[in-house]
Amino acid sequence: MKKKLSEMDYDEKGTVIEIDRDLQKRVAGMGIRVGKKLRMITKQPIKGPVDVIVDEAETSLGLELADRIIVEVD
Amino acid sequence: MTLGLEERWTLIDRISKATVTFGKYEHTLKDAIGELTVKPLTGIPVAIAILYGFWSVFGSFAGTLCTDGFFVKLFDGYWLPWIQEAFPGQGDLLYRILVDAGGIDSGEFVLSDNCFEAFGALTSGLFVAIGVVLPAIVIFYLMLALLEDVGYMPRLAVLIDTMLHKIGLHGYAIVPTILSLGCNVPGVAATRILETKKQRFIMMTLLAIFIPCGAQIGIMEKVVPDLLGWILLYLLIGYFIFGYILNKIVPGRAPEFLIDVPPYRRPLLGNIAKKVGGRIRGFFTVALPFVMLGCAIVSVLYLLGVIQFLGDLLAPIFVNWFGVPAETAGPLVAAFLRKDLAVAQLSVIEMTEYQMITAVVLVSIYFPCVATFAMMLKEGWKELLGALAALVVVVFAYGGLIHLIGILLGVA
Amino acid sequence: MKVLLMGHPNVGKSVFFNRLTGANVTESNYPGTTVDYTKGWMKIEGEDVELVDVPGTFSLDPKDKAEDVAVAMLHETKDAKVITVIDASKIERGLYLALEIIEEGYPVVIALNMWDVAWDKNIRIDARNLEKILGVPVVPTTAISGEGIKELVSRLKSAKPVEVDDIIANAGGLT
Repeated sequence: MKKKLSEMDYDEKGTVIEIDRDLQKRVAGMGIRVGKKLRMITKQPIKGPVDVIVDEAETSLGLELADRIIVEVD
Repeated sequence: MTLGLEERWTLIDRISKATVTFGKYEHTLKDAIGELTVKPLTGIPVAIAILYGFWSVFGSFAGTLCTDGFFVKLFDGYWLPWIQEAFPGQGDLLYRILVDAGGIDSGEFVLSDNCFEAFGALTSGLFVAIGVVLPAIVIFYLMLALLEDVGYMPRLAVLIDTMLHKIGLHGYAIVPTILSLGCNVPGVAATRILETKKQRFIMMTLLAIFIPCGAQIGIMEKVVPDLLGWILLYLLIGYFIFGYILNKIVPGRAPEFLIDVPPYRRPLLGNIAKKVGGRIRGFFTVALPFVMLGCAIVSVLYLLGVIQFLGDLLAPIFVNWFGVPAETAGPLVAAFLRKDLAVAQLSVIEMTEYQMITAVVLVSIYFPCVATFAMMLKEGWKELLGALAALVVVVFAYGGLIHLIGILLGVA
Repeated sequence: MKVLLMGHPNVGKSVFFNRLTGANVTESNYPGTTVDYTKGWMKIEGEDVELVDVPGTFSLDPKDKAEDVAVAMLHETKDAKVITVIDASKIERGLYLALEIIEEGYPVVIALNMWDVAWDKNIRIDARNLEKILGVPVVPTTAISGEGIKELVSRLKSAKPVEVDDIIANAGGLT
């Protein structure tokens, strides 16, 4: 099932299938890219950031960024 | 030749397949703690506990143990009486600047009996620097270094992002903010980790206005311990109110939060020792000379009657607009150069608690210290002018607002 | 000779810098401690070499002022050699930055730092094969304990610019 990264549930895993064009370069350095597996570990209340784990590295993304990444959930 | 983004990733995939094998990853206790301290339900209580612990250790170590338990006794009991005797020319100009401004009692020059009220560069200046500020700075930087090296700061940034987002910043702004609580100079330097000019300007302005440095907090802890909580609360509220307004009026972008959260790590003692040592050295070589200079200039201006004159001139504003007694005008004017001593002077003036809170908050949000001023200039004179304009507006608006709140509460 | 120390924030560049120059730069466990660059000197076989601790950057597309400083510093020193410090436990994103620097024609030496952490996480990297594919020296290091640093320095002079096409060919093509 496809959903936005921002809509993933706690501890849900998935594969990145689409990243907004403007965003690709910004998140590339963090190792986030199309085809990567990731796990959502937590998000903060009241439109706070979303934390994901990619290759055992934790990255925290603002909600608007997470809105622009599409994930195929396992 | 350079590659496109996708080509580069494809190449990395190729290389990685040929050279790297990922074994089964066992989750460790560190990972579990990492997750618990960043999930809101568990992370927020932990953050509050850590900050509270930070605060209590700061107060009891710097205030109670070092300053009251040791330095006050040393300076008031031995140093002050000795130098009052040993320094020649009691009562003349140089003596009053360097040793003891003293008082006049029925035509006679009277010596002060403690280092807070002597106001000499070698007495009050030295006592404040070594007896009050040094312990505060040492314990502050020691605890901060611990939090940094363990890797807690990025998690705090994640937890606080939601709030800071509302004022055009993002979670990472917590790093310059906390650094500034030690000394605003490295705090201003650390604004470079923010993405846009707008964010750096908002951050710098808020730091200069609302974040009191370790020296100020150390003094407040010493002279107005019961009111400190209220004072800091007013500053914190101001930080958010004016951050919100600045975010609305300053043009530019405020990009979203994107940070790497490193795993927890056991801190290395050597690194902590080096870092704390370096920061303390930085404080004493960069910031403190300005502070001492300020002390000397204030003494001269006092003796020349300049402060008295300005104080009398501005007293109506202080009394009517801010609701503080006319006697505070002098210290409030002097605070332009010497915030910490100004707080000490204020503490001996007779006034209500609410007036005291107002006066000390005013001192804090006033002009940044000269060292911070110089650091801001380095970041750009346009930013500096903008920050100063914001400062003038904030002093009057917020000072008036606090007075108004006092009136509404019936305590002013 | 001028050598730049580059890499992601928080991978131990400052530890390298201290070990190589005997200086006292500190680092914290969060990105962005080094917001300004630091210069120092070291001796390699009697020659004085200038070493610059560049602020950490995730890529050559800067996203904040500290990263701006890093990228500008790289572009200003065209004749520099670059030690790219990679967190071996997060090798893919490290290679991303290393490739960007190699593509711009700089002679690069790669330090696979935090080798011990990668080992603990059961990540095994064939450094020799990596070196063959990339055509640049690759040295496993653990900066905190000092392992691999001597070798890193000794390999510095054999660093040469590499054509990306050669890397692609060595990796077996892109398709």
